[in-house]
Amino acid sequence: MSQIAPTLTSEPVDDLEGGLAISPAFLLERVWHFFISMRTGLVLILVLAALSLVGTMLVQASPGLKSDPQAYAAWVESVRPKYGGWTGVFNSLGFFSIFDSIWFKGTVTLLITSVVACSINRAPLLWKQATHPRLSMADTFFEHAPLHATLSGPSDADAALAEVDGAFRSHGFRTVVEQEGDDIHLYADRFRWAPFGTVIAHLSLVLVLVGVILGTALGFRNTDFAAPIGAKVDVGNGTGLTLQATSFTDSYSTDNGAPSDYASDLVLYKDGQQVAAQTIRVNQPLRYGDVSFYQSFFGPAAVMQVKDASGKVLFDEGVPLLWGSNDGKERVGQFTLPDQGLTIFVVEPQSGEVSPTIKAGQAQVEVYKSGSETATDIKILDQGKAATVGGLSVTFARERQFTGLIVARDPGVPFVWGGALALVLGVCLVFFFSNRRAWARIRRGDDGTTSVRIGAVIRHDVAFETDFRQFIDGLKLALDGRSAS
Amino acid sequence: MSEYSFIAGLLAAGLALLCYAIAFASVRLAQRRSVFTPAGAGAGAGAEGGSLAMASRGSSGSFAVYGTLIAWLAAGFITASLIFRTIAVGHGPFANMYEFSVAFAWGVLVMYLYFERRYHQRALGLVALPVALAMLLYATTIPSTSEPLVPALQNNLLLTIHVAVAIVAYGTFSVAFAAAVLFLIQPEGGRRGLPRPELLDEISYKAVVIGFPFLTLTIVLGAVWADVAWGSYWSWDPKETASLVTWLIYGAYLHARVVRGWRGSGSAWLLVLGFGATLFTYFGNLFFGGLHSYAGLNQQ
Repeated sequence: MSQIAPTLTSEPVDDLEGGLAISPAFLLERVWHFFISMRTGLVLILVLAALSLVGTMLVQASPGLKSDPQAYAAWVESVRPKYGGWTGVFNSLGFFSIFDSIWFKGTVTLLITSVVACSINRAPLLWKQATHPRLSMADTFFEHAPLHATLSGPSDADAALAEVDGAFRSHGFRTVVEQEGDDIHLYADRFRWAPFGTVIAHLSLVLVLVGVILGTALGFRNTDFAAPIGAKVDVGNGTGLTLQATSFTDSYSTDNGAPSDYASDLVLYKDGQQVAAQTIRVNQPLRYGDVSFYQSFFGPAAVMQVKDASGKVLFDEGVPLLWGSNDGKERVGQFTLPDQGLTIFVVEPQSGEVSPTIKAGQAQVEVYKSGSETATDIKILDQGKAATVGGLSVTFARERQFTGLIVARDPGVPFVWGGALALVLGVCLVFFFSNRRAWARIRRGDDGTTSVRIGAVIRHDVAFETDFRQFIDGLKLALDGRSAS
Repeated sequence: MSEYSFIAGLLAAGLALLCYAIAFASVRLAQRRSVFTPAGAGAGAGAEGGSLAMASRGSSGSFAVYGTLIAWLAAGFITASLIFRTIAVGHGPFANMYEFSVAFAWGVLVMYLYFERRYHQRALGLVALPVALAMLLYATTIPSTSEPLVPALQNNLLLTIHVAVAIVAYGTFSVAFAAAVLFLIQPEGGRRGLPRPELLDEISYKAVVIGFPFLTLTIVLGAVWADVAWGSYWSWDPKETASLVTWLIYGAYLHARVVRGWRGSGSAWLLVLGFGATLFTYFGNLFFGGLHSYAGLNQQ
């Protein structure tokens, strides 16, 4: 790492004045050096790893929970028995939604800044090394290079060059030769573009982050989209799509009763026109444009029919019973009649549970004025029999299933895949194609022989040392052969 | 057939470890003896250059050679076991903890043997083989019955590649861990009877250089699969997150090797930490649930 060099406007008289003379440029340079330091990157990676570890060790609140303070508080209470006195501490530190916390986002921001800074810092150097490498090296290099050797060659310098050049080429190196007076300089490198793998791998992370941000900002994700069989349900979120699930089947293994298949037949409409139809399974989502439908869950629905006093049908659809009551004995669904300004809840006993008030085959209907907390009417209905509830004729027609889907649109996904691909390629490029560089100098000696000096640097490529020794041994043999002949 | 091969592999791995242990112990013994009889021929193996691998003559040497042969045999048996299993169950043998544990052990064995061939350091086996053996012993404690795949796992291609790639990563990380342990137990400058610290550092690095791209690919393939089956390429599922932690630690290691003050033991400790994270990722679903839990799935 290069040293921090303060750029002071004038020579400081003393330390105090020197300290005061910090210019914005100096400050910027310090910040720059902070971000391009490998040590900074290392520490940030470890901090990020530690924060992620917190995320696996502690139960995390589901993403949407934070927006509902009451539900969130209740959730915190539900984990209190597990974490005891630490609950408050963890909560105030944001550890229950660590990936949404300032710590995590801040560290990611710093790390990505560091990644970009390092790439900007390194790329020009790598470019220069790949395209305009330094061709000749001085004596000191050949004396002090981590890998170096001095060999004696035949009197004919060109013959010696041919051997050295051929040896490098046969090891997969590219060579560049430069004549300088009596000296012949040879530069050899292999996989000169491979170091760009680090730049690609590092910048791919930026691409992934862009994808994540785009997805969060412009996409949507509905994880509890319930479609009662037969009903047409609006997808919403500006898609203009309507979904109809025409069937749902759940199959179980005959051996152990474990689920073996979930399948829903879906038909998708846009502006009343059918645009797609597909059977979806857990590993086979329906994709239409950038909107995807995934099989996620299923459950019972109650088909409800509502008529007003004149007999006009206001509602005739399955109501997914998505929620459980607090005691777990009942399941609850809900639908609205927007024109009447009513919200109607349907409550059924959970299968296998005995509800204190509602018998199997019955449904309790609760009518609320939208926005009100108190029901205007509550009645328990027998299946198939109409009853008047809140001035409306309501029938609990029958039980049906609903299929539960995840509906998502994520415009960031192409960026994420692009980043992932670049990451894998970049990492492979760096690690599977090690860039190697070596220099040779051939100089005619006074004794009628030529001296061949070879030097190479090792950059995170320890196997080079072994290969280098073998290379030198081979070359020595070849040169000796030439000298002898 | 799979069962028999598995048991044969288990026994062979145990035997190989025993051979290494005997070989190593006799090297140490020879060394100690050589302290008292410095001029005697008894210095034998110990004076050969110290490393177990170089102890090619005398009884310790032959034990080490037998160890390697038997380790190859173990790898062969486990390979056969996995192949028979694949034929029997009709998908890659990676669908439950039993299959995955056997595959993990296979990864460790094969990666150890690869590095042993390349660097001739049998001492690595003293740490790597116990890891493989522990995985195989663990596999004997869990039910080996093959259940039909739950819907989320019914993706033969991704199941096979995602896990196979992970196995390679886990195997190389085990080798890196073995080298790091041998590095850390030595005083500065090395100890006779063990491979040189610089060589161990190189082996660790080479192992991570293979393992890191494979772990990266595992995570990316996992994201692809998650996008198909769970409706999101990333959902902070505990196993996902644990793999990210592992990835970050090995990423840190790759940087640490070139940062002053972190070279040597600093980065070796990161490898130990990384292996801890690898095991945590591997066993994680046993205690933190999440989407990767292979039993008791009630939704998908």
